[in-house]
Amino acid sequence: MSHLRLSRRTMLRGAGSIAIALPWLEIMGNPNSAKAAESARRFITVYTPGGSVVDDGQGRNRWRPVGGETDFTLSPILEPLERVRDNLLVIDGLSMMSAVGEQHQAGIIAWLTGTPQADGNGYSRGPSLDQVIASRMSSDVPVRSLQLAVRWGTGKSHGLLHPINCANFELLAPFAPIPPRLDPQAIFTALFGAVDPESSLEMQARIRSKRSILDFVDRRYANLATQLGARDRQKLEQHLTKVRELEQSIGPLVMATGGCSPPERIDTSDYNPTTGLAADDTGAIVDHSSDEAIPRIGQFMMDMLVMALACDITHVASLQWSDTEAKHTFPWLGLSEHHHFYQHDGGFRPVECERIAVWYSEQHAYLLTAMDTVEIGDHTLLDESVVFFGSELAHAPTHGKVDMPFLLAGGGGGLRGGRFLRNEHLTNPSHNNLLSAIANLFGDDRRVFGDPNFASAPLASLT
Amino acid sequence: MEQRKPMTRFRTCIAAILGFSACVPDFVIGGPGEAATPVDCEPSHRQFAGNAPLRRLTRFEYNQTIRDLFGDDTSPANALPSEEIGNGFGNDAESQVVSSLLAEQYAIVAEGIATRVTASPEALARLSSCAPQIVEGTDPAVERECADRVLAILARRAYRRPVEVAEVDALIDLQRTLREGATFRSSIAATIEAVLQSPDFLYRVERGFVDSDGRRRPNGYEMASRLSYLLWGSMPDDDLFAAAESGELVNHEGILAHAERMFDDPRSRVVTRFFFDNLLPIGGLAELERSEDRFPTYSAEVGALLREETQTFLAYELHESSGSWKTVLTAPYTFVNEDLAAFYGIPDIEGDEFRQVSLDPERRLGLLTHAGVVAGPIHSNDTNPVVRGSFIVQRLLCETIPPPTGDILAQVKPPDPDSGATARERFTQHREDPVCMACHQRMDPVGLALENYDAVGLWRDRENGLRIDSSGQIPDSGVPVDGPVELVQAIADDPRTYECFARHWANFAYGRTLEDDACGLSQLQDDFVASDYDVRELMLGLTQTDAFLYLPEEPSESP
Repeated sequence: MSHLRLSRRTMLRGAGSIAIALPWLEIMGNPNSAKAAESARRFITVYTPGGSVVDDGQGRNRWRPVGGETDFTLSPILEPLERVRDNLLVIDGLSMMSAVGEQHQAGIIAWLTGTPQADGNGYSRGPSLDQVIASRMSSDVPVRSLQLAVRWGTGKSHGLLHPINCANFELLAPFAPIPPRLDPQAIFTALFGAVDPESSLEMQARIRSKRSILDFVDRRYANLATQLGARDRQKLEQHLTKVRELEQSIGPLVMATGGCSPPERIDTSDYNPTTGLAADDTGAIVDHSSDEAIPRIGQFMMDMLVMALACDITHVASLQWSDTEAKHTFPWLGLSEHHHFYQHDGGFRPVECERIAVWYSEQHAYLLTAMDTVEIGDHTLLDESVVFFGSELAHAPTHGKVDMPFLLAGGGGGLRGGRFLRNEHLTNPSHNNLLSAIANLFGDDRRVFGDPNFASAPLASLT
Repeated sequence: MEQRKPMTRFRTCIAAILGFSACVPDFVIGGPGEAATPVDCEPSHRQFAGNAPLRRLTRFEYNQTIRDLFGDDTSPANALPSEEIGNGFGNDAESQVVSSLLAEQYAIVAEGIATRVTASPEALARLSSCAPQIVEGTDPAVERECADRVLAILARRAYRRPVEVAEVDALIDLQRTLREGATFRSSIAATIEAVLQSPDFLYRVERGFVDSDGRRRPNGYEMASRLSYLLWGSMPDDDLFAAAESGELVNHEGILAHAERMFDDPRSRVVTRFFFDNLLPIGGLAELERSEDRFPTYSAEVGALLREETQTFLAYELHESSGSWKTVLTAPYTFVNEDLAAFYGIPDIEGDEFRQVSLDPERRLGLLTHAGVVAGPIHSNDTNPVVRGSFIVQRLLCETIPPPTGDILAQVKPPDPDSGATARERFTQHREDPVCMACHQRMDPVGLALENYDAVGLWRDRENGLRIDSSGQIPDSGVPVDGPVELVQAIADDPRTYECFARHWANFAYGRTLEDDACGLSQLQDDFVASDYDVRELMLGLTQTDAFLYLPEEPSESP
């Protein structure tokens, strides 16, 4: 450690900023020069609530592009994505058949897992795709996977983790739900650090100290676990696994790529990341200040997400815009009721739902553009990524999950953008086949993902 | 969020829609064709005690524990990721999982606490009087002796039990390592960080012992923690530690005596407040917004006062008065201050302090008619009998009504809440369409009986010029009611009200979601009824069950 020369651009990160990242050093070779056609390197999921407007009540699909595979016109809802059209693969015609259970909960659970909801208002019966990919891609990065959420824990979950708001599930049984990170300041500190990077002595002392602490904690869990009965032991061992992950994040030094530069930390004091804790079932409690701040916070979250990838802090990231309850308002769109109200609590309001869906398209265009401006060797961050944009249902007033409004973007694993896949005549339209096809882009050659009752073979023509 | 057999209930409702009878509870418990399993509560099959999963401190408990351990009242655990909703109180041990984020946040939160509690000589003095004396140049032997003392005291209190020499030695070794290249103070801080991430602090480990009857029970220190977390939401105080050491906490009587002392201590109020903030729709009233045009006398400040009205009333009933849940439900009085009196239109109340006032017996009676309790569930500026009814039926009667399935929503278009002069008119479809009726007939009639309260909980006789018909009906029993006062009386006369209340307390107390057939639950419920619904007796009773007094039969030691 003491042999390291730490430059101006050195960053600290990890739990309370405990690990360090170094700028990419030419002399060590570019670890990211992999051609885009090789396996995809990064996987990003973006969740938005309540589907889209696939039927405006008069039979018009406001989401579906018009035209053929390459000569299509984007729909009113997707129009904001025109500027990233060449990187976009519109996936129409799939159904979330594995979403069996409570309508919203089963939808968000099945979206990335392809499994029905576990009994009794439970969670998933399998891991989510992001965790499966992380298990392949994340052995050499400090953060195995990063989950971020904006204005999360609304309505009936009261700010607590619940099948109603969770999309990511651990790799191994019992496939525990993974809570997203909510506090933009804490996320910034965890990712990009708070310690003066000039002070290498302080940094080294800090790393030493954190190592000793976690080493002690590790032994305490390991030791106590052996003294308890099977079920309690399992709990402590699970905790120990997470402590070890934390220890690992201190250890290896990380190479950041050329495009890595931490975003500017912004003031978020008008935004309460845990305002969901005060939520009531129906969304009656409105946090005007936090709702007003959503566009700014969302952009900050996306900036951090992009740099966490660009700096090789993680390879797998999820962004959740709210949750299936979606009980917050959109004051900047002039919408004073919450999203679920427009979806069906107040009777389906296609005009308002469309306005919200268009806004989410704008945000997605921002994210994809930001990824496309980070250069890594001879290509961009977006070129080596796969970005999956989805929801827990297609059609809010019926909770319908047919013709899901899915988008892929990026060029990772040879994904070919600039296309619209209508998928009209599939024998099996189950979206599980999309999940396996995405896994294939990462070099995972499985034919079936999720519950095999809903899967046949990977969806063709992504590449 | 009830979790009892939801799938069975789900099927039942589908069955109802297909033309079977209705969304009724008889169906629900066993399901058609399933014989109810007889409850086996033989001492050799103590299911109630037979499951005591390892509990981790909740954020609520963590905050108070840190306050009592270090005098740090900054509620640092609010930065931790949220608990699972589980049994509705965030403390369901079966649902507690550890995520990467949680482990990381424990580290960050611990660092913040450790920094604060070693930041000044005064703070250091709380750890041990020797600590502030250690400065640059202090004799190393003196410093080491002080460090050892600080850590021995800390370990015992943070682990909530006597510690073995080896355990303190491990902490001392850690501190010595951390001292290299760092100050005494920062080495102590870093050691505190380690302690706060240890399982001994974060978890309530219970090894237990086998008593003279051959039954496993928590030892004195483990029982001290059971008592303190149940009744104070925090770690044991010195009296409890002393009681643990002297062996007072290994029999029913000793435990009960301490439980009584603890309930009567003001520290128990934070627990009852937390419980009701989570049970009732009042926790978020301070953020409840309404249209200024339609409700000119209402503001979020009034919302905050409405929560205090209910909490002040409950604190009075439980801690200073009869303590009867029936009285809580039917008290002909409440508590207001000047601003709230002005909101309600009650004359002659001055000052910020809350005081008891009589209710208009025609219009209000007890807890369920507090403006905050009826306004809390409402989403918009118009009332909604479904959500009010749902709160009372599902939360207070413990009846589960499944959410509408996609099949139902595909068949019917939900009523438009904006068309119709009165709520009864707006939700006509729920009474007439058989698809909706199956479930809504169990909720809406309860909510409709509360229609005389508008969206901020104020009384009204008319809505949009039409006289309000506030007749309704209690689900399953079919008791007809006319208006909120009769509704309250019917709820107060319904045995499910008390079984449900006792069940919520048991779930909260044991950090679980109890099954219907949990042994001891029905005894607890019976005793609650026999005590004339005495909440204090119920809480004390929670310390006298097998679930509280004993540990599971199977040894928890490794094979």
